Amino acid sequence: MKALLKRTMGVILAVGLAGSLAACSSGSSSNGAQSNESGSIKLTLWDQSVGNTDPTAKLLPTIIDKWNSDHPDIQIERTGTTGEQYKTKIKTSIAAGEAPDVFYGMGGGSFMEPYIKSGNVLDISSYLTDDLKAKLGPGMAEAIENDGKIYTLPVYTHIANLYVNTELFDKAGAKLPTTYKELLDAVDKLKAAGITPALIGEKDRWPGMYWYDIIAMRQAGNEAVKEAFKDPSKWNSPDFVAAAAKMQELAKAGAFNSSMFSMSYDEMLGAFNAGNGAMMVQANWVNAGIEDPSSAAKGKVKVIPFPVFEDGKGTNTEIFGGAVDGFYISSTTKHPKEAAEFLKYLSEQLGTQGYLAGAGLPSWKTDGLDTSGLSSLDLSSAEIMKTATSFIAWWDNILPAESAETHKNLIAQLLAGDITPEEFCKQMAQLQPTELNL
Amino acid sequence: MMNSVFSNKTAITIFVLPTLLIFCAIVLVPIFVSSYYSLLDWNGVGKGAYIGFHNYVELFTDSRALNSMKNSLLFAAASIFIQLPLSLLLALILASNVKGEGFYRTVYFIPVLISTVVIAQLWSKIYNADYGLLNTLLENVGLSHLAQDWLGQKKTALIASFIPTLWQYIGYHMLLMYAGAKSISQDIFEAAKIDGASRVRTAFLITIPLMKPVLKVCLVFSVIGAFKVFDLIYVLTGGGPFFTTEVPSTLMYTTIFDTYRYGYGSAISVFIILECLVVTLIINKFIKTE
Repeated sequence: MKALLKRTMGVILAVGLAGSLAACSSGSSSNGAQSNESGSIKLTLWDQSVGNTDPTAKLLPTIIDKWNSDHPDIQIERTGTTGEQYKTKIKTSIAAGEAPDVFYGMGGGSFMEPYIKSGNVLDISSYLTDDLKAKLGPGMAEAIENDGKIYTLPVYTHIANLYVNTELFDKAGAKLPTTYKELLDAVDKLKAAGITPALIGEKDRWPGMYWYDIIAMRQAGNEAVKEAFKDPSKWNSPDFVAAAAKMQELAKAGAFNSSMFSMSYDEMLGAFNAGNGAMMVQANWVNAGIEDPSSAAKGKVKVIPFPVFEDGKGTNTEIFGGAVDGFYISSTTKHPKEAAEFLKYLSEQLGTQGYLAGAGLPSWKTDGLDTSGLSSLDLSSAEIMKTATSFIAWWDNILPAESAETHKNLIAQLLAGDITPEEFCKQMAQLQPTELNL
Repeated sequence: MMNSVFSNKTAITIFVLPTLLIFCAIVLVPIFVSSYYSLLDWNGVGKGAYIGFHNYVELFTDSRALNSMKNSLLFAAASIFIQLPLSLLLALILASNVKGEGFYRTVYFIPVLISTVVIAQLWSKIYNADYGLLNTLLENVGLSHLAQDWLGQKKTALIASFIPTLWQYIGYHMLLMYAGAKSISQDIFEAAKIDGASRVRTAFLITIPLMKPVLKVCLVFSVIGAFKVFDLIYVLTGGGPFFTTEVPSTLMYTTIFDTYRYGYGSAISVFIILECLVVTLIINKFIKTE
């Protein structure tokens, strides 16, 4: 009996072993055959476009499918991850030396700068032809240059402006503001009508930063802001104190939702789209969400330039934004040439088709494209961008990472009334100068 | 049979080795690597500069870091003095042959099973200043003057973010304690009953002293849990407003991923590990179970 049991066990083990060996070998041989037959190269792509109402999230798969069927020898495998998580994920994988071949990067600022400096990103200048550069929109070829080298191609441009819910303005009998005084008036009227004048998702801290930054640009003018980025002691000057005072005045006048410190960016968009607030300073990436059929504010929202100030040096053609985001190639990729080919295709396709789908303003020439399908928000954003005389992108992208954190924290304190405008500017003057060429 | 396995060194090695290797690879090695990183001024890419114990000096002089440590100590205190007594009370009630024992056991354990992120989302909706359950409730019972932005204000944010975590793990400790209480021999209770001891007296003089080993385990888990808490705070408040709810782990996250200071962040992580180790040693030293 015992002997029989032993023998049976032996047989079972042997069969099991053979089975698993067979499974392994068949798996590996078929894989090997596949890659030998077609010689196909696999490139990995990471991006952050996964939102329900994000037009890019819908476009990307179709663009990649088309590429994959046109290029059987270069196959793209895409992984999408949502915004804040994406940033953590890409930072970790670059630090670990395991970056994907092609990945999305927040361009023109402190996000990509450390990786460019330390050589983690591939210089693609040699792969770009003049023909291709000629297809870029005006100023774009210069915008992506970094110390004479090019690491990315632009996809979209984003600019921030004031979004107003006209229905709520009408209800309150308020006028769409074009000056600071009118803005304060509108706040009073909206408040009197029981409407939250403006929404800030200050839990994430950057939505509040958008308000201060654009106020400072209107007060001091874009040139003065650029100077201060290079020489932070200039943050402590009367214009920036006045800007901080205006920001605090708005907060004290009750312009912002009382729940701002517990409201996240996503909740802010949700509240604005539900018609629970009359104003919001955001970039045109919110357009598709506002125009989504699920949004109660659909068709009622207008985008207008942020008001100018009676005593300000800035004009409404000085734009907050112009940030060029794009895809980058990891310097560890085994197939730089193929990755560059794909990058060129992806950037142009996404830049033009994405514009038509309302994902962002174009960084590529759009002559001959049919723009009739664009929403009024997209069209008016494009109109505002056409008037631009100067651009300054998101300050937290321009400032070195640690100073960007301090900047956002200071604005939160200003909004809460914890520091005076003077203290705010004194601390701003302690920031590090930017490492970028503005 | 069992004894022969335990005395067989080869068998022990074979069974323990895989786990030991995995443990080394994903726990011990990273701890040593982090300890090394904590001595660097490093932005996560390229080469870091060796700066000795500078990061640790900063850790103990930076008011934001000290505040996060204070918060985690407060949180540990809340766990010991609020969470554990409540768990004990519930465990004793549950173990005293109440009706629906199984039902209550399951109900209290449900929060432990749900992902912390879901719990955090749930509570942030309860606390929401505009449409939250808590404010609505207060308004409906005529206490509308108490309604406020619970997670958005300095004075309430810390307590408001402690409550969900304390609540979430009450069921976990309750179950451990319940198992401890149930494992006490019924003879002892019967003897106490014959002697005429009241339920409260039985609990304090017999059940609780005999549960000491379990209570010690709960104490260690709950304190370490408090020191390590991350996900709930991160989702509820992100450490804000104005760092009032910041704990060392959220500070570590911001330091590494928002300001690219991998060296300083690693120093914070090493601090958390040491903090947990020291507390475990202290508890083991002062509460003897044998």
